[in-house]
Amino acid sequence: MSSSPIGSATSRIDARLKVTGGALYAADNNPPGLCYGYLILSTIGKGTITAMNTSAATSAPGVLAVYTPFNPVKLYAYGGDENDEFTPPLQDANVRYYGQVIGLVVAQTFEQARDAAELVTTSYAPQTPATSFPGAAKVPAASAATVSQTYTTSMVHHHAMEPHATVASWTNGHLTVYTATQGAPLVVSRLANALGVAGGNIHVINPYVGGAFGGKWGNWAHTPLTAAAAQALNKPIKTVLTREQVFTVVGHRPMTSQTVTIAASSDGTITSLTHNGTASKSNSSKFTEGPSTVSNITYAAGSITTNKSTIDLDIPATTIMRAPSEANGSFALECAIDELAVELNMDPLALREKNYANTVPNGGKPWSSKHLAECYSTGAAAFGWSKRNPQPGQVLDGDWYVGLGMATAIYQASRSNATLKVRLRSDGTALVAGTGSDAGTGQATVFAILGAVALGIPVTQVTAQLGDSTLPTAANAGGSSSTASNGSAVTIAAQAVITALIQAAISTSGSPFKGKSAANVKWKNGNLTSGSTTIGFGPLLTKMNMAGVEATGTASKTTTAGYSYYSFGAHFCEVRVNKWTAEPRVSRLLSVMDAGTIVDSKTARSQIMGGMIMGVGQALLEGSVLETSGRIANANLASYLLLVNADLPHIDVTFLNYPDTKFTPIGMRGIGELGIIGASASVANAIYNATGKRVRGLPITLDKLL
Amino acid sequence: MRPYTYAAATTPSQAVGLAGSASAYLAGGTTLVDLMKLDVLGPSSVIDINALQLTGTTVDSAGLHIGALSRMSDVATDPNVTGAFPVLAQALEASASPQIRNMASIGGNLLQRTRCDYFRDVQTPCNKRQAGSGCPAQDGANRTHAILGTSTSCAATHPSDLAVALMALDAVLTVQGSSGTRQIALADFYQLPGSTPSIENTLKIGELITGVTVPPLAWATNSSYLKVRDRTSYEFALSSAAIAVQLSGTTITAARVAVGGVGTVPWRLPAVESALAGQTASIANFTSAAANAATGATTLSQNGYKVTLVQRVIVRALSELLGVTS
Repeated sequence: MSSSPIGSATSRIDARLKVTGGALYAADNNPPGLCYGYLILSTIGKGTITAMNTSAATSAPGVLAVYTPFNPVKLYAYGGDENDEFTPPLQDANVRYYGQVIGLVVAQTFEQARDAAELVTTSYAPQTPATSFPGAAKVPAASAATVSQTYTTSMVHHHAMEPHATVASWTNGHLTVYTATQGAPLVVSRLANALGVAGGNIHVINPYVGGAFGGKWGNWAHTPLTAAAAQALNKPIKTVLTREQVFTVVGHRPMTSQTVTIAASSDGTITSLTHNGTASKSNSSKFTEGPSTVSNITYAAGSITTNKSTIDLDIPATTIMRAPSEANGSFALECAIDELAVELNMDPLALREKNYANTVPNGGKPWSSKHLAECYSTGAAAFGWSKRNPQPGQVLDGDWYVGLGMATAIYQASRSNATLKVRLRSDGTALVAGTGSDAGTGQATVFAILGAVALGIPVTQVTAQLGDSTLPTAANAGGSSSTASNGSAVTIAAQAVITALIQAAISTSGSPFKGKSAANVKWKNGNLTSGSTTIGFGPLLTKMNMAGVEATGTASKTTTAGYSYYSFGAHFCEVRVNKWTAEPRVSRLLSVMDAGTIVDSKTARSQIMGGMIMGVGQALLEGSVLETSGRIANANLASYLLLVNADLPHIDVTFLNYPDTKFTPIGMRGIGELGIIGASASVANAIYNATGKRVRGLPITLDKLL
Repeated sequence: MRPYTYAAATTPSQAVGLAGSASAYLAGGTTLVDLMKLDVLGPSSVIDINALQLTGTTVDSAGLHIGALSRMSDVATDPNVTGAFPVLAQALEASASPQIRNMASIGGNLLQRTRCDYFRDVQTPCNKRQAGSGCPAQDGANRTHAILGTSTSCAATHPSDLAVALMALDAVLTVQGSSGTRQIALADFYQLPGSTPSIENTLKIGELITGVTVPPLAWATNSSYLKVRDRTSYEFALSSAAIAVQLSGTTITAARVAVGGVGTVPWRLPAVESALAGQTASIANFTSAAANAATGATTLSQNGYKVTLVQRVIVRALSELLGVTS
């Protein structure tokens, strides 16, 4: 190997499978005799179901069963929280929110199940749901160089390309489940509790996931319901959520109302920073956000006070979504910093540099590795920040106002304990395997790269197998921790399998190394060598009549004590706002990221771009409209708008690539969340610079700028 | 989606003969199939008309004839359209997505149903879907709803871009029914919701649109379609404008103006047209003419901005078409 593949632009090892349809996602699995489930959802926001008339549905063509609270399949209490709902479906007649699962129709075809579901009529004793989410009170200004403003963000959803789906089949008391998840072990533990089945009898298979963003951490109602119905009917069942159903069956990012108050001296030194964040919380779920916490870590300030509160609502589950808390929190903080810069007549980037936190603010630990200043300077130079006109509404390009904005990104690096295995095979290839999930991020490729590096073989000789609950227990895909956790375990497992191969080689008939001492047999670049004998591991395994040899490696979540671990970045955004019709359009995006060692610059760039795009979408388009009934008025992808390609310019992403070896031996930290943090604020700040209009509630649509 | 019978017709008269009060014609299917899946539409019989010979365009002394089964994407690039009627081509290109334009027919486009979310959700009342059930948009989510031609029964916008352009061009539909063919001016085709929003047009039961005729208008070569929306593509108009202008030097001698996204039907604006006629092309004159655009507008809680937006869209469209910026 002439050079390490770490940091090179490696295409996904499963790219060809994915674009040719060879990668089977959960809903692509069709066990023999498959039947289809279709969910029935509540159409009131709160109350009790008094009756469900299922006679027409039950006698409809192809229908096998109609399960309701009055004819349920048994599901036990969930036990541990998985950022989803407190209670399993159909076990009571209470309606907790509009769009809750209240029934499952099983039929021989999907169309028959959907048709029959439309024939079910439900009677309710309705109550008034709590659906009002008021803005927080504005804090009065205290001095000239003070900003105190309230910012609001809307209910937004993950909307992964792959809708949620579960295929369940039983054989002799053994359950096989194909389901879209960020962690097969999460499915096993949930189904073991809910079904009353030993975890060892549950096999979860999920090698490919079409996007997750936190929305596939939880096990939503369709998963245990489908498994229980498959058991009751003794038939395999597939339940795929419609796009409309995903809005309410799956959780969403909470709404927030945040008040940020910043006082600064005339030179820009922040003397006090107060961030009060209120988030919506579903009465059906445990999770909510604490958006103010981002203010504890971003800027040095004389004093920092953050408060968190929640408003409990009768709405679908609030759950984790990409940078839970920080995506919303950074919108408020980074807009407030921009507003402070206006008050001080100071460049907003200079203001950020003025209040640079050289250690964690308020006497905290040193950072393990922080190069945010270089993110600022590199980004500013590449973007042409110095050409920004500080006076808003002054730059016109034809009939379009042009404005520049920026914001800081910061996200904690974390690790979990993780075990993976590496297997060397007689065909000369290596396999990296564990329960971990590649949610479309490129994790399988990253693990293959790390395996290839540890083994000294080309990446093309390494494959990865993920998402199978029978494999060693890797870290689930969440909190930007998978590469640091699982990737570190790959390195250890690769070292272990080399040892295992040498042990086999000195003790197995057919091996040219039989009888030698282990110390005299050396591994290099996929070959074993002793004296003048060198042989590749594939031919060696063949000579030993072994299909392969494997070993596991476990990486502990322990990191070097005494440091705080964060990744950083700077977003720069240019927008154009039409002077007549006021639609805002992003015309340039550039981000510089300090996220430790980048293992695969190609998939990493895609990860950061994806986060930025999600942030732009939150800034400009996304937001569920909650009616007082608890119904989401725009619960479909024709009315809840996501960005399209035409909305986005070329996106520049630069990685500084400083290894954080206090965090992981190879120095990687994690990048899944980082790209979205601050992205929406960079758009809002650019819109202010373009137009002079400060919009503090997302999304920023043209009606707010006319 | 409910069970239905399916039959394929090969001639218009055969199709019309198969039709009844509970039947639906299937062309591209881009509206019909969606709405059947949503249980909004439940025809007992579906008559596939894709084999009918109603595609392509011709030009004669009566104008441009567009076969009703022509696909949107084909018409958008048709040389008979792009040169003489840029406003038509642009309206088509601004519609939907390439995939939908490749499937959707011209006749179907004109008959597409509103994107009002209450219409499309059978769990909510909707006077257009179920007469007399109510209109939640009146005090509900109405940011995208109409400000012109509304009633207390309905404020749903007509979603077609093409219809706006055709309205500006005085297009005429040819329809075939059991008692023969007839022609209907597009201006007479769409019905205001009034107290009966479920009646959207003057088609009789079983009548089939077979073609659209656009009368000759030499100065339609100077025409354009501007569509303003929340996102850049694959989205319906918050406000749009189809305009054609006849100039003599810098003086506007005649103009056509119709707007979309703001009316319950495609909305022609004769008051704006007459205010432009005889005026010098200038932003000030565009602005004062456009001030007539929202006359009689009725706004709801969230769509008041459209009163301003529709005027701005007209000014911008004129400015861009005529290259006048001051």
